[in-house]
Amino acid sequence: MKAFRWLLCGFLLACGLHAQPQTPKAAATIDLSGYWVSIVTEDWLYRMVTPAKGDYASVPLNPAGRKIADTWDAAKDAASGNLCKAYGAPAVMRIPGRLHITWQDDYTLKIETDAGTQSRLFHFDASKAGAGGDWQGASVANWDIEAGARGPLPGAGLRVVTSHVKAGYLRKNGVPYSANVQMTEYYDRVNERNGDSWLIVKTIVEDPAYLTGPFITSTHFKKQADSTGWNPTPCTP
Amino acid sequence: MKIRAAGLILLVAMGCWGQGPGGYNPIGPGVSLDGNWGPVFHEDAHERGPGPELVNYLGLPITDGARMYGLAWDASRFTIPEHQCEVHIVSYIYRGPYNLRIWEEHDPVSQKLIAIKQYIDNYQQTRTIWMDDHPQPPEAAPHTWMGFSTGKWEGNILTVYTTHLKWGWIRRNGLRHTDQATLTEHFIRHGNHLTHVSILTDPITLTEPLIKTQDLVLRVQNGQTWLYPCEPVVEIERPRGTVPHYLPGENPFLHEFADQYHIPVDAALGGAATAYPEYQSKLKQAGAK
Amino acid sequence: MKVFGAALAFLTVAASAQTSGDLVTLKVQGNVYLITGAGGNIAVQTGDQGVLVVDTGLAEMGDKVVAAIRKLSDKPVQYIINTHVHPDHTGGNDAVRKAGLTYVGANVTGNLTDAGVGAQILAQDNVLKRMSAPTGKQAPTPFGSWPTETFLSGRKQLFFNGEPIEIIHQPAAHTDGDSLVIFRRSDVVVTGDLFVTTSYPFIDVDRGGTIQGEVDALNNIMEIAIPGLQDEGGTYIIPGHGRICDQPDLLEYRDMVTIIRDRIQAAIKKGMSLARVKAAGLTKDYDGRYSAKSGFGTADQFVEAVYNTLSRKK
Repeated sequence: MKAFRWLLCGFLLACGLHAQPQTPKAAATIDLSGYWVSIVTEDWLYRMVTPAKGDYASVPLNPAGRKIADTWDAAKDAASGNLCKAYGAPAVMRIPGRLHITWQDDYTLKIETDAGTQSRLFHFDASKAGAGGDWQGASVANWDIEAGARGPLPGAGLRVVTSHVKAGYLRKNGVPYSANVQMTEYYDRVNERNGDSWLIVKTIVEDPAYLTGPFITSTHFKKQADSTGWNPTPCTP
Repeated sequence: MKIRAAGLILLVAMGCWGQGPGGYNPIGPGVSLDGNWGPVFHEDAHERGPGPELVNYLGLPITDGARMYGLAWDASRFTIPEHQCEVHIVSYIYRGPYNLRIWEEHDPVSQKLIAIKQYIDNYQQTRTIWMDDHPQPPEAAPHTWMGFSTGKWEGNILTVYTTHLKWGWIRRNGLRHTDQATLTEHFIRHGNHLTHVSILTDPITLTEPLIKTQDLVLRVQNGQTWLYPCEPVVEIERPRGTVPHYLPGENPFLHEFADQYHIPVDAALGGAATAYPEYQSKLKQAGAK
Repeated sequence: MKVFGAALAFLTVAASAQTSGDLVTLKVQGNVYLITGAGGNIAVQTGDQGVLVVDTGLAEMGDKVVAAIRKLSDKPVQYIINTHVHPDHTGGNDAVRKAGLTYVGANVTGNLTDAGVGAQILAQDNVLKRMSAPTGKQAPTPFGSWPTETFLSGRKQLFFNGEPIEIIHQPAAHTDGDSLVIFRRSDVVVTGDLFVTTSYPFIDVDRGGTIQGEVDALNNIMEIAIPGLQDEGGTYIIPGHGRICDQPDLLEYRDMVTIIRDRIQAAIKKGMSLARVKAAGLTKDYDGRYSAKSGFGTADQFVEAVYNTLSRKK
């Protein structure tokens, strides 16, 4: 009987430990860490080169947005030190390059880009997200629980909401977003039978100042074994 | 007393491990993809709608053979009656305009999921993704536009493998994959958004797997039919069996696209290297803006 | 019905696929089945009247072919039709013939006591010429394999197991004795090696094959085959080697053969030698898919046959 009581106590203790809320890092059901390289099989002319002024095909721009895009002046951006305008959070994932994803701490996921040497922090503790106001804004993250999920959630993706971003460009040719932009992203990882792993980043940009509706894109990155090709370069026009 | 204690332990265990997100639902894994979905054309709208330019193979990991095939392709081939009604292959159809309706088929007795069905109103294609260990058809079985598909849930992502494909578009300007290609897809739902990931493998036409991602949103509108039924007609009188094509080295449009966009012809001719970020330095050296 | 169309096709094929040693049997459509793995593809039509077989595979597979036919029907084989002379399509003639019987007299000896002994073997006349030999000379194939009834040109017609069957000569194509076999109610066309999915066409120049005849034959099949709804299915095509096809599958092949012919024709007009044509890589876009690694249907062989038959003085 005594042994049984000890067993019961031990079991309840184990349950107690299990029931402690896990840190976001511990609770992660997919591993996003490591080096990832963008594979540009879509929107090539809008990503690998700077498109011509006035070419904003595919972007649901409203008249105000088109007016700004039509009067884009690359030299002016360079002269005013605004070369990174197209590297803000709503656009940086579309810039061809490599990502380095790490856990800054148990509550903060960090994404560094070699293109434009940008750094994004995804805070699982919203109180730590900060005021933003720079190119990357303030990002709050959570492990996404899909409504209507029917089973256990191995592989739940990451959801990130970003706001308070400095006004910038959705594309390098001056297609604008305002400082009121709000962006929702979903990060999912898929693993293939041939050993490839892909990071799929879905980006939903909402900006009533310049867009008629959400601007939705999905960007794919291939997992690399190491940092080969990692090439930090400054923002370019 | 011991029995009561054991029962208490069991209850506590259920409480402990039943907590947290994703408590097990005996109906099955995954997430419902049911509903009507419509594509969003915020990427490659021009290519996916009106169509890609000739000799625009940017970003595609094509082999030399596939490139030669594309350069030989004359768009007039669409005017031949036997080519007019060609359906978009499953590896391409999600790129174009369509409405997609998804529903599930369950065993009437056990309610076990048998298949996930899709109706794609463009070309009136119905697709079956078998979810129940369906046997693979033999090698000698016919190949179809939608192929033979089996699926499984990986968490909340539907992963689908497809074989038995016909020849079909890599890009709608003469680049085609062979009937030896296989397709892997992932359907990822987040709320009213669906991401479709397609990864095409065909060592004959691609040097590495080709990945594309398409976005869809849940819509109220029901799909109907589009581009079908189709009835071929003779548009141009030609000698019997004529197949419009360009002889090697004689494609008159080789430079047209590259010149229009001020990029090197080498880039326009595609290849795996054109999809990697480091290709940008090659473009800069070539003077592309 | 449409909803289950393609799925049903796969279900039917997967459910009906049988394996018998090296052989796989699949239902094609209507009364027609495919037996594959015996050399060339074999088509089998079954019904109340008996069994009709198109081609019989390699000689060494004869017993297995008979066993596979028996699994489809226990009725006697009444007819064998040969699409052409090659031994991977006629090698099993003797074994399969012996497994059958004929209810009408054969014309081999004119002796009515032959009636009832084995199935009839039908083919275009050049098949018999190439399988047999003039009196006193050694024939390349055993007597029991020879066609028992031939036709010279045009077509031969049968009505068997409730459907009209046409055997249509395709002159100077893969060989000089090719025939298409069309099951009109089952809506199946058997092409022999006029169409294969496994390699370039083998133009057997020594046996009267020519590229133009091959192209004409492919266009003939294109005109006979009608695709179903959504441009697939409809008329099914059993190629000489490879999987069950339909018209869009044949279309890729027809286009390929035509394009390569056109390229070599243009090269001949420029005065290029065969060696230069081979070196020019005019088939590189299709080699990955169609060039056989060895044996028949390699790119080199195909280019040579096309060049030689196009270059002939008319």
